[in-house]
Amino acid sequence: MKSAEGRGRTLDEAVDAALIELGESRRNVDVRVMSESPGETVVEVTVIDHSVAPVIGTAAPANGKAETARSLVEGLLKHMGVRAQVTVRTAADPITIDISGRDLGALIGWRGETLRALQSVTNVMLGKQLAEGERVIVDVERYRQRREHTVREIALRAARQVKMTGDAITLDAMQAFERRAIHLALQDDPDVGSSSIGEEPDRRVVVGPRKPETS
Amino acid sequence: MPGRAAAERIRKAIALVNAVADGAGDEDLTPTEIAEAIRDCLELSEIEQGSNVRKYLGEALDAVSDGMPADFVAMTLYAALGALGESRSGS
Repeated sequence: MKSAEGRGRTLDEAVDAALIELGESRRNVDVRVMSESPGETVVEVTVIDHSVAPVIGTAAPANGKAETARSLVEGLLKHMGVRAQVTVRTAADPITIDISGRDLGALIGWRGETLRALQSVTNVMLGKQLAEGERVIVDVERYRQRREHTVREIALRAARQVKMTGDAITLDAMQAFERRAIHLALQDDPDVGSSSIGEEPDRRVVVGPRKPETS
Repeated sequence: MPGRAAAERIRKAIALVNAVADGAGDEDLTPTEIAEAIRDCLELSEIEQGSNVRKYLGEALDAVSDGMPADFVAMTLYAALGALGESRSGS
């Protein structure tokens, strides 16, 4: 997989530097922050390899559940009259089904609502084939993955600001999977922590200085 | 706009159920809270008696009390939201 290291004063600058070197757009890459200091941020940017995912008819034989989920989603889309390519994302845990094609905005819906509904239907239909607590993720044009990347970047930016000012920052209302991505992004930060306030659907993440543990 | 409050309340119930399914790990939701959110929807007078919206909401409430998986409850609530949209576009 192609990757490049990027350096800059801010996260955005570091990512942009790596993107220029790779000749890629932001939606096609995965970003990992290597180090962060007030003066410099270093990131590793890796191109997401779309070609490794199996195409229709050549799904990963190693995982029967994944193939069942793939053909189920394919069937649902056929009934909906949507022409799209359905593949299983390789090495993804939990099982992730990728849908790609032209003009799939309607399949994502308002704030990902239609996509989320499709995922719920898929999991209900797979029912007993899944172990307890096991779920299948459905993604359209990597919308969910891109959202997770975006909120992770927001989290890191907020964390940097918190470290500089010492003040907590309340982020916009987010869905559960987005809040989860933020909590995971900051869980190993020794100085900054995250918590959530408010009620669904207006629940927001607060990024603030980590309180010293009381013994 | 008629139905707007109903759509907002159904979306709130969906968000609660999805939070359980997605497991953000930042709240501890109980089935009672989800059931309350669905009952809030059913209390709205703009949801007509005998409508599909009310039928699906009732099914979602039953699903919560029967301990059905969160995805099943969510699917039923999405059906209610869809039925609401249909009734609004048809009126």
